[in-house]
Amino acid sequence: MDVGKAIIEGTNEVFNTMLMVELEVGEPIIGQGGDVESNLTSMLGLGKDIKGMLAVHCPEAVAKDITGTFLGMEVQELDEDVKDAVGEIANMVAGNLKIFFQEHDTTIELAIPTTVVGKSFRTAGMTGATRVAVPFTMNGNTFLIELKYVDAS
Amino acid sequence: MEIQDKMVDAAKEIFSTMIMMEISLEGTLDEHGPLKDTITAMIGLAGTRKGVLAIHFPYPVAMAITSNFLMMDVTEINDDVHDAMGEIANMLGGNVKGILSENGRDIDLSMPSTIAGSDYSFQSDKEVDKVILKFGTDKGPFMVEMDLEN
Repeated sequence: MDVGKAIIEGTNEVFNTMLMVELEVGEPIIGQGGDVESNLTSMLGLGKDIKGMLAVHCPEAVAKDITGTFLGMEVQELDEDVKDAVGEIANMVAGNLKIFFQEHDTTIELAIPTTVVGKSFRTAGMTGATRVAVPFTMNGNTFLIELKYVDAS
Repeated sequence: MEIQDKMVDAAKEIFSTMIMMEISLEGTLDEHGPLKDTITAMIGLAGTRKGVLAIHFPYPVAMAITSNFLMMDVTEINDDVHDAMGEIANMLGGNVKGILSENGRDIDLSMPSTIAGSDYSFQSDKEVDKVILKFGTDKGPFMVEMDLEN
């Protein structure tokens, strides 16, 4: 299973159809490294055959850009609208990953998105989990979509 | 027995048997506001009930728990602390699974994940039923939050 490719295809589909935006796609990063600064991270748990956590890490500029494009309005600050919009992006990307895994006879169930907002925080998964992260660039600003998981089947 | 009461019992049991630390319920909250110098360990619940279980530990409490758990002195928020907090979320998640569904078979847990920072907000996006339990330890309080999609 090419999880990096699944993240790329799942994310592109969401941005193309929901936001009408073409993303610039970076090289998938397997293992550590490639962190981007994040002011807003939406996370969503995956359970059943694969136990994981999907995270969308956004610097402030991208979070506002995504929300503004999504809602068709100017966004000034990281408010409720931004949390909802990026959380919804996480939810839709996770939905596409669920379909991808299903095609590989792997069933996953989705939890609900939770969003963390702050000037300075860091997130970590568990030691020993597989990590695949893909940097995407939207209108010149880079954000990261990351899946950390363990195979539980 | 209410879900909340079962969660309190489960948390007390985990702390007393796994971490050798006695905790007491100090009350419940509707909101927790911004989290400062805190590490949050969260785990997703998926299946017939969808939601998030999160435990918010102020740094001194997180270090004291990790020190007890690993039986070594921990003086900074390092990977050991992140792993220990994630493991506690995992253990409590396992109990909550059983509390919400018979034998826990209709609910799957995600992998735990942790967030640490000097000042951040933590909020589930969907319409959720929220329970926040505040527990006391001799190093200060911490909170257990469960957000379940309604």
